[in-house]
Amino acid sequence: MLLWQLFLSFVKIGAFTLGGGLAMIPIMRKEVCEKHKWINELDFIDGIAAAQSAPGPIAINIGVYVGYRIAGIRGMLVAVFGSVLPSFISIIFIAAFLYNYAELVLVQKAFHALKPAVISLIAIPMIDMSKKVGLTLKNSWIPIIGLILVAFLNISPMYVIIVTIAFGIIAAYVKKRKAKD
Amino acid sequence: MFTMFFTFIKVGLFSFGGGYSILAMLQQEIVTNHNWLSAEEFADIIAISQMTPGPIAINAATFIGYESYGIIGSILCTFGVIFPSLLIMLILTKTYLTLQTKPWFQYSFNNLRLLSVGLIAAAMVLIGKSSFPDLFSVGVFIAAFYVGYRWKVSPIYMLLGAAGVGMIFG
Repeated sequence: MLLWQLFLSFVKIGAFTLGGGLAMIPIMRKEVCEKHKWINELDFIDGIAAAQSAPGPIAINIGVYVGYRIAGIRGMLVAVFGSVLPSFISIIFIAAFLYNYAELVLVQKAFHALKPAVISLIAIPMIDMSKKVGLTLKNSWIPIIGLILVAFLNISPMYVIIVTIAFGIIAAYVKKRKAKD
Repeated sequence: MFTMFFTFIKVGLFSFGGGYSILAMLQQEIVTNHNWLSAEEFADIIAISQMTPGPIAINAATFIGYESYGIIGSILCTFGVIFPSLLIMLILTKTYLTLQTKPWFQYSFNNLRLLSVGLIAAAMVLIGKSSFPDLFSVGVFIAAFYVGYRWKVSPIYMLLGAAGVGMIFG
Protein backbone atom coordinates (compact mmCIF):
# COMPACT_ATOMS: atom_id res chain seq x y z
CA MET A 1 0.00 0.00 0.00
CA LEU A 2 2.79 2.41 0.99
CA LEU A 3 4.79 1.40 -2.08
CA TRP A 4 1.79 1.92 -4.36
CA GLN A 5 1.12 5.34 -2.81
CA LEU A 6 4.81 6.20 -3.20
CA PHE A 7 4.69 5.12 -6.84
CA LEU A 8 1.62 7.26 -7.58
CA SER A 9 3.17 10.28 -5.87
CA PHE A 10 6.35 9.98 -7.91
CA VAL A 11 4.46 9.52 -11.17
CA LYS A 12 2.71 12.79 -10.33
CA ILE A 13 6.05 14.41 -9.46
CA GLY A 14 7.60 13.20 -12.73
CA ALA A 15 4.64 14.33 -14.80
CA PHE A 16 4.71 17.89 -13.46
CA THR A 17 8.45 18.52 -13.52
CA LEU A 18 8.96 21.04 -16.31
CA GLY A 19 12.31 22.60 -17.07
CA GLY A 20 14.82 20.49 -15.20
CA GLY A 21 15.56 18.71 -11.96
CA LEU A 22 15.15 21.45 -9.37
CA ALA A 23 11.71 22.32 -10.76
CA MET A 24 10.76 19.03 -9.10
CA ILE A 25 11.30 20.43 -5.61
CA PRO A 26 8.00 22.29 -5.12
CA ILE A 27 5.83 19.35 -6.19
CA MET A 28 7.93 16.79 -4.36
CA ARG A 29 7.89 18.87 -1.19
CA LYS A 30 4.12 19.18 -1.43
CA GLU A 31 3.65 15.42 -1.91
CA VAL A 32 6.33 14.08 0.42
CA CYS A 33 6.43 16.63 3.28
CA GLU A 34 3.01 18.23 3.34
CA LYS A 35 0.47 15.79 1.95
CA HIS A 36 1.78 12.40 3.08
CA LYS A 37 4.22 13.62 5.79
CA TRP A 38 6.68 10.84 4.89
CA ILE A 39 9.73 12.88 5.88
CA ASN A 40 10.13 16.23 7.63
CA GLU A 41 11.18 19.39 5.89
CA LEU A 42 14.74 19.61 7.27
CA ASP A 43 15.49 16.04 6.19
CA PHE A 44 14.13 16.93 2.77
CA ILE A 45 16.44 19.95 2.54
CA ASP A 46 19.40 17.73 3.52
CA GLY A 47 18.40 15.46 0.65
CA ILE A 48 18.52 18.35 -1.80
CA ALA A 49 22.08 19.15 -0.71
CA ALA A 50 23.10 15.48 -0.95
CA ALA A 51 21.46 15.15 -4.38
CA GLN A 52 23.50 18.03 -5.73
CA SER A 53 26.76 16.59 -4.50
CA ALA A 54 26.26 13.28 -6.38
CA PRO A 55 26.64 12.84 -10.15
CA GLY A 56 23.65 12.31 -12.42
CA PRO A 57 20.23 13.93 -12.77
CA ILE A 58 19.31 15.79 -9.55
CA ALA A 59 15.68 14.71 -9.80
CA ILE A 60 16.73 11.05 -9.78
CA ASN A 61 19.13 11.64 -6.89
CA ILE A 62 16.43 13.24 -4.75
CA GLY A 63 14.10 10.37 -5.69
CA VAL A 64 16.67 7.83 -4.46
CA TYR A 65 17.11 9.69 -1.16
CA VAL A 66 13.41 10.19 -0.48
CA GLY A 67 12.38 6.71 -1.67
CA TYR A 68 15.08 4.99 0.38
CA ARG A 69 14.24 6.92 3.54
CA ILE A 70 10.57 6.08 3.21
CA ALA A 71 10.71 2.41 2.26
CA GLY A 72 14.30 1.15 1.84
CA ILE A 73 15.68 -0.26 -1.42
CA ARG A 74 12.21 -1.09 -2.74
CA GLY A 75 11.04 2.43 -1.98
CA MET A 76 14.03 3.80 -3.86
CA LEU A 77 13.32 1.68 -6.95
CA VAL A 78 9.61 2.50 -6.90
CA ALA A 79 10.27 6.25 -6.53
CA VAL A 80 12.81 6.36 -9.35
CA PHE A 81 10.73 4.18 -11.67
CA GLY A 82 7.64 6.29 -10.96
CA SER A 83 9.37 9.59 -11.61
CA VAL A 84 10.90 8.38 -14.89
CA LEU A 85 7.73 6.80 -16.29
CA PRO A 86 5.91 10.00 -17.41
CA SER A 87 9.11 11.24 -19.14
CA PHE A 88 9.58 7.95 -20.85
CA ILE A 89 6.02 7.65 -22.14
CA SER A 90 5.75 11.24 -23.33
CA ILE A 91 9.13 11.12 -25.12
CA ILE A 92 8.37 7.82 -26.88
CA PHE A 93 5.03 9.23 -27.99
CA ILE A 94 6.63 12.42 -29.32
CA ALA A 95 9.52 10.58 -30.99
CA ALA A 96 7.11 8.19 -32.69
CA PHE A 97 4.24 10.47 -33.71
CA LEU A 98 4.92 14.12 -33.04
CA TYR A 99 8.46 14.94 -34.00
CA ASN A 100 7.62 18.62 -34.61
CA TYR A 101 6.12 18.92 -31.09
CA ALA A 102 8.47 21.73 -30.03
CA GLU A 103 7.46 23.81 -33.07
CA LEU A 104 3.72 23.56 -32.43
CA VAL A 105 2.28 27.03 -31.85
CA LEU A 106 0.10 25.93 -28.96
CA VAL A 107 3.03 24.26 -27.19
CA GLN A 108 5.21 27.33 -27.64
CA LYS A 109 2.44 29.56 -26.35
CA ALA A 110 1.91 27.35 -23.31
CA PHE A 111 5.64 27.44 -22.52
CA HIS A 112 5.73 31.20 -22.90
CA ALA A 113 3.71 31.27 -19.64
CA LEU A 114 5.00 28.03 -18.13
CA LYS A 115 8.65 29.12 -18.04
CA PRO A 116 8.12 32.15 -15.76
CA ALA A 117 5.53 30.20 -13.72
CA VAL A 118 8.15 27.51 -12.99
CA ILE A 119 10.47 30.20 -11.61
CA SER A 120 7.88 31.44 -9.14
CA LEU A 121 7.05 27.84 -8.34
CA ILE A 122 10.65 27.37 -7.18
CA ALA A 123 10.74 30.75 -5.42
CA ILE A 124 7.80 30.00 -3.10
CA PRO A 125 9.20 26.93 -1.28
CA MET A 126 12.58 28.67 -1.19
CA ILE A 127 11.06 31.39 1.00
CA ASP A 128 9.50 28.82 3.33
CA MET A 129 12.76 26.87 3.42
CA SER A 130 14.84 29.88 4.35
CA LYS A 131 12.60 30.29 7.42
CA LYS A 132 12.87 26.58 8.29
CA VAL A 133 16.67 26.48 8.10
CA GLY A 134 16.98 29.56 10.34
CA LEU A 135 18.27 32.05 7.81
CA THR A 136 19.20 35.36 9.47
CA LEU A 137 21.02 38.50 8.35
CA LYS A 138 24.13 37.23 10.11
CA ASN A 139 24.35 33.88 8.33
CA SER A 140 22.92 34.99 4.99
CA TRP A 141 26.44 35.21 3.55
CA ILE A 142 26.46 31.42 3.17
CA PRO A 143 23.58 31.17 0.65
CA ILE A 144 24.60 34.43 -1.03
CA ILE A 145 28.16 33.23 -1.68
CA GLY A 146 26.76 29.89 -2.87
CA LEU A 147 24.43 31.69 -5.26
CA ILE A 148 27.22 33.84 -6.71
CA LEU A 149 29.65 30.94 -7.12
CA VAL A 150 27.17 28.65 -8.85
CA ALA A 151 24.97 31.03 -10.84
CA PHE A 152 27.49 33.66 -11.91
CA LEU A 153 30.92 32.04 -11.73
CA ASN A 154 29.72 28.65 -13.09
CA ILE A 155 31.31 26.62 -10.31
CA SER A 156 29.81 23.15 -9.83
CA PRO A 157 27.55 22.90 -6.73
CA MET A 158 29.48 19.76 -5.79
CA TYR A 159 32.66 21.73 -4.97
CA VAL A 160 30.73 24.32 -2.99
CA ILE A 161 29.08 21.54 -0.98
CA ILE A 162 32.37 19.72 -0.30
CA VAL A 163 34.02 22.93 0.92
CA THR A 164 31.02 23.66 3.17
CA ILE A 165 31.21 20.18 4.73
CA ALA A 166 34.98 20.54 5.23
CA PHE A 167 34.51 23.86 6.99
CA GLY A 168 31.82 22.34 9.20
CA ILE A 169 34.17 19.56 10.27
CA ILE A 170 37.01 22.00 11.02
CA ALA A 171 34.69 24.33 12.93
CA ALA A 172 33.29 21.46 15.02
CA TYR A 173 36.87 20.30 15.77
CA VAL A 174 38.01 23.78 16.81
CA LYS A 175 34.99 24.12 19.07
CA LYS A 176 35.79 20.79 20.72
CA ARG A 177 39.41 21.83 21.30
CA LYS A 178 38.31 25.12 22.83
CA ALA A 179 35.86 23.34 25.11
CA LYS A 180 38.75 21.15 26.34
CA ASP A 181 41.00 24.11 27.13
CA MET B 1 24.07 -0.60 -28.83
CA PHE B 2 26.21 -1.56 -25.84
CA THR B 3 28.65 1.21 -26.69
CA MET B 4 25.69 3.56 -26.41
CA PHE B 5 24.63 2.02 -23.09
CA PHE B 6 28.13 2.45 -21.65
CA THR B 7 28.33 5.98 -22.99
CA PHE B 8 25.19 6.85 -21.05
CA ILE B 9 26.57 5.22 -17.90
CA LYS B 10 29.67 7.36 -18.34
CA VAL B 11 27.55 10.48 -18.74
CA GLY B 12 25.53 9.61 -15.62
CA LEU B 13 28.70 8.93 -13.66
CA PHE B 14 30.71 12.02 -14.55
CA SER B 15 28.14 14.79 -14.82
CA PHE B 16 27.90 16.80 -11.65
CA GLY B 17 25.46 19.59 -10.95
CA GLY B 18 22.38 18.33 -12.76
CA GLY B 19 20.63 18.76 -16.11
CA TYR B 20 22.71 21.31 -17.92
CA SER B 21 26.12 19.82 -17.20
CA ILE B 22 24.69 16.50 -18.39
CA LEU B 23 23.58 18.11 -21.66
CA ALA B 24 27.06 19.51 -22.27
CA MET B 25 28.55 16.08 -21.71
CA LEU B 26 25.94 14.35 -23.90
CA GLN B 27 26.70 16.75 -26.72
CA GLN B 28 30.40 15.94 -26.38
CA GLU B 29 29.81 12.17 -26.45
CA ILE B 30 26.91 11.86 -28.89
CA VAL B 31 27.74 14.54 -31.45
CA THR B 32 31.51 15.06 -31.25
CA ASN B 33 32.93 11.68 -30.20
CA HIS B 34 30.50 9.15 -31.70
CA ASN B 35 28.63 11.04 -34.44
CA TRP B 36 25.37 9.32 -33.51
CA LEU B 37 23.48 12.55 -34.19
CA SER B 38 24.23 15.77 -36.03
CA ALA B 39 24.46 19.02 -34.05
CA GLU B 40 21.05 20.10 -35.41
CA GLU B 41 19.33 16.83 -34.52
CA PHE B 42 20.82 17.13 -31.05
CA ALA B 43 19.55 20.70 -30.66
CA ASP B 44 16.05 19.56 -31.72
CA ILE B 45 16.07 16.79 -29.16
CA ILE B 46 17.15 19.16 -26.39
CA ALA B 47 14.38 21.61 -27.29
CA ILE B 48 11.83 18.80 -27.03
CA SER B 49 13.37 17.53 -23.77
CA GLN B 50 12.96 20.94 -22.20
CA MET B 51 9.33 21.12 -23.21
CA THR B 52 8.21 17.72 -21.97
CA PRO B 53 7.57 16.62 -18.40
CA GLY B 54 10.40 15.02 -16.46
CA PRO B 55 14.13 15.56 -15.93
CA ILE B 56 15.78 16.92 -19.10
CA ALA B 57 18.62 14.38 -18.98
CA ILE B 58 16.17 11.46 -18.82
CA ASN B 59 14.11 12.89 -21.68
CA ALA B 60 17.20 13.35 -23.84
CA ALA B 61 18.47 9.84 -23.07
CA THR B 62 15.08 8.28 -23.88
CA PHE B 63 14.86 10.23 -27.13
CA ILE B 64 18.39 9.47 -28.34
CA GLY B 65 17.99 5.79 -27.48
CA TYR B 66 14.68 5.59 -29.34
CA GLU B 67 16.05 7.34 -32.42
CA SER B 68 18.89 4.83 -32.68
CA TYR B 69 17.47 1.48 -31.51
CA GLY B 70 13.75 1.88 -30.80
CA ILE B 71 12.08 1.07 -27.49
CA ILE B 72 14.87 -1.28 -26.33
CA GLY B 73 17.43 1.46 -27.03
CA SER B 74 15.43 4.02 -25.08
CA ILE B 75 15.13 1.72 -22.06
CA LEU B 76 18.87 0.97 -22.13
CA CYS B 77 19.93 4.62 -22.45
CA THR B 78 17.54 5.79 -19.72
CA PHE B 79 18.71 3.01 -17.42
CA GLY B 80 22.33 3.81 -18.26
CA VAL B 81 22.05 7.45 -17.26
CA ILE B 82 20.21 6.58 -14.03
CA PHE B 83 22.33 3.63 -12.92
CA PRO B 84 25.34 5.51 -11.45
CA SER B 85 22.92 7.84 -9.62
CA LEU B 86 21.14 4.91 -8.02
CA LEU B 87 24.35 3.41 -6.66
CA ILE B 88 26.12 6.60 -5.57
CA MET B 89 23.04 8.24 -4.04
CA LEU B 90 22.20 5.02 -2.20
CA ILE B 91 25.67 5.03 -0.62
CA LEU B 92 25.37 8.74 0.22
CA THR B 93 21.92 8.28 1.76
CA LYS B 94 23.10 5.35 3.88
CA THR B 95 26.16 7.31 5.02
CA TYR B 96 23.95 10.26 5.86
CA LEU B 97 21.61 8.11 7.95
CA THR B 98 24.51 6.59 9.95
CA LEU B 99 26.36 9.86 10.52
CA GLN B 100 23.24 11.90 11.26
CA THR B 101 23.74 11.77 15.04
CA LYS B 102 27.42 12.85 15.07
CA PRO B 103 27.92 16.45 16.30
CA TRP B 104 30.44 17.43 13.60
CA PHE B 105 28.07 16.15 10.98
CA GLN B 106 25.16 18.15 12.34
CA TYR B 107 27.39 21.19 12.39
CA SER B 108 28.21 20.70 8.70
CA PHE B 109 24.61 20.15 7.75
CA ASN B 110 23.43 23.31 9.48
CA ASN B 111 25.61 25.24 7.07
CA LEU B 112 24.73 22.94 4.21
CA ARG B 113 21.03 23.63 4.69
CA LEU B 114 21.67 27.36 4.46
CA LEU B 115 23.78 26.72 1.38
CA SER B 116 20.94 24.68 -0.16
CA VAL B 117 18.76 27.78 -0.19
CA GLY B 118 21.50 29.59 -2.14
CA LEU B 119 21.88 26.68 -4.54
CA ILE B 120 18.16 26.66 -5.27
CA ALA B 121 18.37 30.40 -5.89
CA ALA B 122 21.26 29.71 -8.27
CA ALA B 123 19.18 27.13 -10.15
CA MET B 124 16.42 29.73 -10.43
CA VAL B 125 18.83 32.22 -11.96
CA LEU B 126 20.18 29.63 -14.40
CA ILE B 127 16.75 28.34 -15.46
CA GLY B 128 15.37 31.90 -15.44
CA LYS B 129 17.91 33.30 -17.90
CA SER B 130 15.71 32.44 -20.88
CA SER B 131 12.35 32.72 -19.11
CA PHE B 132 11.72 36.46 -19.33
CA PRO B 133 11.82 37.65 -22.92
CA ASP B 134 8.94 40.16 -22.51
CA LEU B 135 6.50 41.87 -20.13
CA PHE B 136 3.97 39.05 -20.49
CA SER B 137 6.44 36.63 -18.85
CA VAL B 138 7.08 39.07 -16.00
CA GLY B 139 3.31 39.42 -15.51
CA VAL B 140 2.84 35.64 -15.40
CA PHE B 141 5.71 35.36 -12.91
CA ILE B 142 4.16 37.93 -10.56
CA ALA B 143 0.66 36.48 -10.89
CA ALA B 144 1.88 32.92 -10.31
CA PHE B 145 3.91 34.03 -7.32
CA TYR B 146 0.96 35.85 -5.77
CA VAL B 147 -1.46 32.98 -6.36
CA GLY B 148 1.01 30.42 -5.00
CA TYR B 149 2.25 32.37 -2.00
CA ARG B 150 -0.97 34.00 -0.84
CA TRP B 151 -3.58 31.46 -1.79
CA LYS B 152 -1.31 28.43 -1.44
CA VAL B 153 -2.50 27.07 -4.79
CA SER B 154 -1.00 23.63 -5.42
CA PRO B 155 1.97 23.59 -7.86
CA ILE B 156 0.09 21.25 -10.19
CA TYR B 157 -2.92 23.56 -10.57
CA MET B 158 -0.57 26.48 -10.99
CA LEU B 159 1.22 24.78 -13.89
CA LEU B 160 -2.05 23.75 -15.53
CA GLY B 161 -3.33 27.31 -15.10
CA ALA B 162 -0.16 28.79 -16.57
CA ALA B 163 -0.32 26.45 -19.56
CA GLY B 164 -3.92 27.53 -20.18
CA VAL B 165 -3.12 31.23 -19.83
CA GLY B 166 -0.19 30.78 -22.22
CA MET B 167 -2.26 29.00 -24.84
CA ILE B 168 -4.89 31.75 -24.82
CA PHE B 169 -2.83 34.92 -24.32
CA GLY B 170 0.82 33.88 -24.88
